[in-house]
Amino acid sequence: MLKIENIDQTDHMVLQLSGEIDASNSVDLDAAIQDMISRGAKKILVDGSQLEYISSAGLGVFMSYLEEFHEKDIQIVIYGLLEKVHQVFVILGLDKLITIKNNQQDALEAML
Amino acid sequence: MLKFLSPNIGKVSFLIAILAWLALLFVDITRIFGMMNQIESGVVPEVSYILQVVFFIMVYIFYNYSITKNEKNEFLNLIWRGASTGLLALGISLLIRGFYGILGDSRLALDPLLRNFFYHINFAMTSLFLISCTLLWKRLILYQKTKKVVQQWQAFEILLLISMFFVFFNQNTLDYSFLFGLVFLNIFSISLAINLKWIPYLTFKEKWKSILFFSIILISSSYLFFQVLSYSDADQIPVNLTDNLLLIGLFAFVFIYSLFSFLVTLFNLPTSSVFEQKLVEAINFQRLSQSIKPGENENQVLDILIDSSMSASYADGGWLETSNKEGKLTLIQERFIDKKNLGQVKELIADSKALQHNNTYRKEEESKVFQVKINHNLYKSALVAPLLVNQELIGRLVLVKEVKDGFNKEMLNIISTFVGQACISVENYRLLNDAIKNERYKEELKIAQRVQESLLPDKLHHDESFEISAFSAAADEVGGDYYETKQLDDHTFVLIIGDVSGKGTSAAFNMSQMKGVFHSLVQTHSNPKDFMILANNALSECLEKNHFITTAYYLINTDSKKITYSRAGHCPTLYYNHRKQETYYLSIDGMGLGILRNKLYEKYVHEKTFQFGSGDVLVLITDGIVEAKDGNGVEFGYERLKTVVDENKNLNSKEIQDTIIQEVYKFIGKNRIADDDYSLMVVKFK
Repeated sequence: MLKIENIDQTDHMVLQLSGEIDASNSVDLDAAIQDMISRGAKKILVDGSQLEYISSAGLGVFMSYLEEFHEKDIQIVIYGLLEKVHQVFVILGLDKLITIKNNQQDALEAML
Repeated sequence: MLKFLSPNIGKVSFLIAILAWLALLFVDITRIFGMMNQIESGVVPEVSYILQVVFFIMVYIFYNYSITKNEKNEFLNLIWRGASTGLLALGISLLIRGFYGILGDSRLALDPLLRNFFYHINFAMTSLFLISCTLLWKRLILYQKTKKVVQQWQAFEILLLISMFFVFFNQNTLDYSFLFGLVFLNIFSISLAINLKWIPYLTFKEKWKSILFFSIILISSSYLFFQVLSYSDADQIPVNLTDNLLLIGLFAFVFIYSLFSFLVTLFNLPTSSVFEQKLVEAINFQRLSQSIKPGENENQVLDILIDSSMSASYADGGWLETSNKEGKLTLIQERFIDKKNLGQVKELIADSKALQHNNTYRKEEESKVFQVKINHNLYKSALVAPLLVNQELIGRLVLVKEVKDGFNKEMLNIISTFVGQACISVENYRLLNDAIKNERYKEELKIAQRVQESLLPDKLHHDESFEISAFSAAADEVGGDYYETKQLDDHTFVLIIGDVSGKGTSAAFNMSQMKGVFHSLVQTHSNPKDFMILANNALSECLEKNHFITTAYYLINTDSKKITYSRAGHCPTLYYNHRKQETYYLSIDGMGLGILRNKLYEKYVHEKTFQFGSGDVLVLITDGIVEAKDGNGVEFGYERLKTVVDENKNLNSKEIQDTIIQEVYKFIGKNRIADDDYSLMVVKFK
């Protein structure tokens, strides 16, 4: 079960993820990110505080956009991850490529 | 024996019948000679009676055989057979009468021998006609066999048999016993004659024909009957054969049954179209349920559906639409209605539907066949039948009529039955196709499984300084876990374990690519860091953009007792250090292969070397092990794994591996299916 919510703020967009991301619903995450890019997002804040699990397919979605983010100069920051979910990012080495912060405050500051 | 005899029954009985008839003729001629020459011939009438009985029985057997043998006995054929025999008997009798008319008062006309000869011919023809008709009527009466009717018929046959021998008692004279027997036979004939269940099965045209044939039979039998009556008063006949109770009884039976059939068929004429319609509906129903075979198109069933429905409701026009995935209706079949009218009627139906919905709209009504009044200049009423498969609208059948309220309740009923059956056929067809497709997928998966099993090593390289064992289980038919060993020289070994992102077939394909990359690189670039950088380069070219592979790579030198390793995003390896009596995860930074597909990747690859000692244990895992969940969604986790290894570190590699697997399975619970691939490689240094 994955719930994706999209909140547009004045200068950035927030993607709220809750539940579990696996192979079956990773396409929904992909569609949500694709949608934000097409709407011209420059700063994307991913709220992962409700995210309980992410599978390799879910990580693959974030990974697949890294190059495009870089080219289009889009900033992405993930925050509020549970420790075990955070560990998954760390083990894979994705934390080196995507900024991961503890809370929203830190995340917003990291964007500036 | 029986088999040898049976084909000849027809011929034998026919032959005996002719012989019996010739004997009858001969006996009578002898008598006439005797009378003419005033000599007592000494031939008693009983001889004739016996020959007559033999003749009757043989004719009966012959017809019984020939009618039963002829399998293609349609009703009309049967009746025609009776009528034609009647016509023949009638024709011959008329010819004889005509012959005597020509002769006038000549001597020949008075010749008793000739007269007797013609009498015998008439007798034979009449008998043939009556017995054949009786047996034909038997077929008709027993068309719908019930125990009661069969018993009744058997009783009638016994009665006929008795009446055949009645002649020995009364010498073919009209007395009370004869009349009594006749009345009895007549009552029986009437009670049998109500078995007319075959008549409704005739089509309108066939009914007309059968009426014609029955009138022929009625005329022939009446004429022959009166001829027989005229013989009873004639004095030229030495032994009267025709005043036989059997013959007179059969006259009554044949006449009564023909009359009943004639009248009932006549009165059935006006309603016959209804019965025909019902029969057509039943046949259509069968066609609908059997129409689709695998490989054929489901449009075929829809084609039959619209034709059957149109004929069942006498509709003036109609069309059939099917809906695609978005619910948009497209026209696929149309009958007797042009595009312009069709469009107009469609709008009118939509309007009346909208009106209905505003008043009382209920969801279940959507699935019913209903009639709407429409105000079109040509069509006044329409019938709409939605086609539903699995509660999903797959199409719509619309029929129109030029009269108001043209569809009655029966039509609505029969059309909903047709529609229901057609939908079941379509559904069955789809299910069958899916099943075939699934079967094919399963076959292909089996092949993939076999290929993949062959990708995992059947031999683990090692020397006497360490022992090694490995295990792998896939959640689906094929998995994305990978492990392998390689011996580079006498003292150098490489161990690799990997996990491909995603699951199932796509993961299995990527895994085979990883194997190729490993084998091509390990020969020349066995150094862990070099290996990772080059593997990343190679895989960046061939992996899909959202796929990656994690691996852990160990280079073991058993001579210098050194292990050099690198980790590419793979879950950390557990290590038991015997000297320190400590169990810990080997920590090193590293990024998964295919995540960063450029030169920058090199920055994120690291390499470490350490010394191993006797009793040390190396446990390489994939994330399926630590992410295995119990019934409450709690993960097995790194800590639990560490504890298990810590408690069993003194066992050999195979035992440690088995214990870990047991513990994981115990943790997730027996009845749960693994939802990830598990792989494990355990090395124990001696």
